[in-house]
Amino acid sequence: MTSQLEQLKTHFVPRSKAGAYLRALLAVVACTLVCRLVQGHLELSNLIMIYLLGVVWCASRYGRGPSVLSSIVSVGAFDYFFVPPFYSFTVADSQYLLTFAVMLVIAVLISTLTARARELAFEGSQLAQQAEFERVRNLLLSSVSHDVRTPLATITGAASGLLASDRLQDMPRETELAAAIYEESGRLEAYVTNVLNMTRLQSGALPLNLQAQPLEEVVGAALARMEERLTQRTIVTELPSDLPLLNLDAVLMEQVFFNLLDNAAKYTNAGDTIWIKARADNGSVVVNVRDNGHGIKAEDSDRIFEKFFRSKDTQNSAFGAGLGLAICRAIIEAHGGKIWAETGDTTAGANLVFRLPAKPVSELKQHEH
Amino acid sequence: MNTKPVVLLIEDEQQIRRFLRASLPDENYALIEAGSGLEALSKFDGNEVDLVLVDLGLPDIDGLEVISQLRKKSRVPIIVLSARGQEQTKIEALDRGADDYITKPFTIGELLARLRAALRRAGRASEPAEVHTFTLGDISVDLEGRLVRKKGEDVHLTPIEFGLLSSLLKRAGKVVTHNQLLKEVWGDEYMGETHYVRVYMAQLRAKLEDNPARPRFIMTEPGVGYRLKLQ
Repeated sequence: MTSQLEQLKTHFVPRSKAGAYLRALLAVVACTLVCRLVQGHLELSNLIMIYLLGVVWCASRYGRGPSVLSSIVSVGAFDYFFVPPFYSFTVADSQYLLTFAVMLVIAVLISTLTARARELAFEGSQLAQQAEFERVRNLLLSSVSHDVRTPLATITGAASGLLASDRLQDMPRETELAAAIYEESGRLEAYVTNVLNMTRLQSGALPLNLQAQPLEEVVGAALARMEERLTQRTIVTELPSDLPLLNLDAVLMEQVFFNLLDNAAKYTNAGDTIWIKARADNGSVVVNVRDNGHGIKAEDSDRIFEKFFRSKDTQNSAFGAGLGLAICRAIIEAHGGKIWAETGDTTAGANLVFRLPAKPVSELKQHEH
Repeated sequence: MNTKPVVLLIEDEQQIRRFLRASLPDENYALIEAGSGLEALSKFDGNEVDLVLVDLGLPDIDGLEVISQLRKKSRVPIIVLSARGQEQTKIEALDRGADDYITKPFTIGELLARLRAALRRAGRASEPAEVHTFTLGDISVDLEGRLVRKKGEDVHLTPIEFGLLSSLLKRAGKVVTHNQLLKEVWGDEYMGETHYVRVYMAQLRAKLEDNPARPRFIMTEPGVGYRLKLQ
């Protein structure tokens, strides 16, 4: 990014600094020649205007240093060639000190203004570039979404068809193979969904569809979607019935629970327990998804939310896409909440906690009791 | 209805068609395929179709438009094949008269369950006598007598809770949107106030489900509505 910025900036000024100073001097020489030509036809004060033009030119093109140089040299040249006594730097009239001061101020002012304008132009071009980048990315996203998910849907569906076939009943080997295809294509589809959601969320192409709702709905939906994978786990849910409504995007928040449960399923063994608890706390709701599985190392507790981070222990295993928790964080933060891993506890297992702002006490009209 | 229901599959993706062709058992279904919306509309007119499966992303006319066109001339059950993250489009499809949707990727088991549920509802609609009693696990419901029992004990439901339950039961197995429930139970003036449905649905779940956070019957379709799961 920095090199790109430098590249764009140098686009507006001459390559070498010496070149810029040389050009500034040449501009003063040119002004002097012009003044020489029109000398006698114009008042002295108008000759200054010609030098002033030269200074403005330098300020607008070559930056502060060369323009200050041009203003000093201009005053000198003006004094030397046109102010009596001629061909000497002696200034008969102290008012030419004012001329010098004004030229200097103008040089600094204009070069600063030009630098600012240049920055704005740079930002503008960057914005345009950004917009183009977004457009291409969104195009790519929708194409990936379609071109990757459609074959995946075929693979998942076809494998499920194989698994459901009566003839496969007495063929444990083939059943295993079909199950592997089915499960892995499902995992890939979950991964693609996470990548798409992540990119969409980050580019702002995924506006939240916020609606007031009880937390148990999204929890229930995620548990239902995970059902096949949770058969060997004990699930304990503790959601108080008086929990306030939350302003949620149901689809995205279901994805949060899906990802957390997906992790819990990966890092626990058959017979382990997964707890989903929530409590109201001072205008917000604190949720935690805890298990008694392998757990999270204290030193990893922040990094697990980074994109593509995987704990060293799991690097070589088939576990972990490295995006599940990153997308959870992006979604929770988009809802104005915060997510973290609790590692201080002595109990084994992972404990993921997040806090969401509760919707102010609903003004739901009472129709009945 | 004939012995073998005729299914019209409208899908431009060859591979999806191929897998559905191989997966719908020959002995149970007759399959007609269409790769575009216009082809589908003409094939629908030329055949006795019992159920339509339609993908929304078609090359010629919008799948939503196909649904509208079909609804103008028929009450045939329509099931939409859709992708995750298209909740607004799903709602739009249901508003235009689609009966249900299934989200890709789906298992063949899920699809067959949806087909059977849709065909059963269509068959029931043509029967003279409506069904009034339902059993959901340990819950029994008598819609006419407004009686709900769980594990043999009477469950007291408020009129709104009962209204929600009967709306879901009448479309058992099929998705019902928040707005459909609002319209039926509260009335037109409450359209868009989806939190009403959610709050009262939570109360209904608390009375009927063993664990409302892990429902067995009243399932949430995130961003769309609810589906009463048949055992």
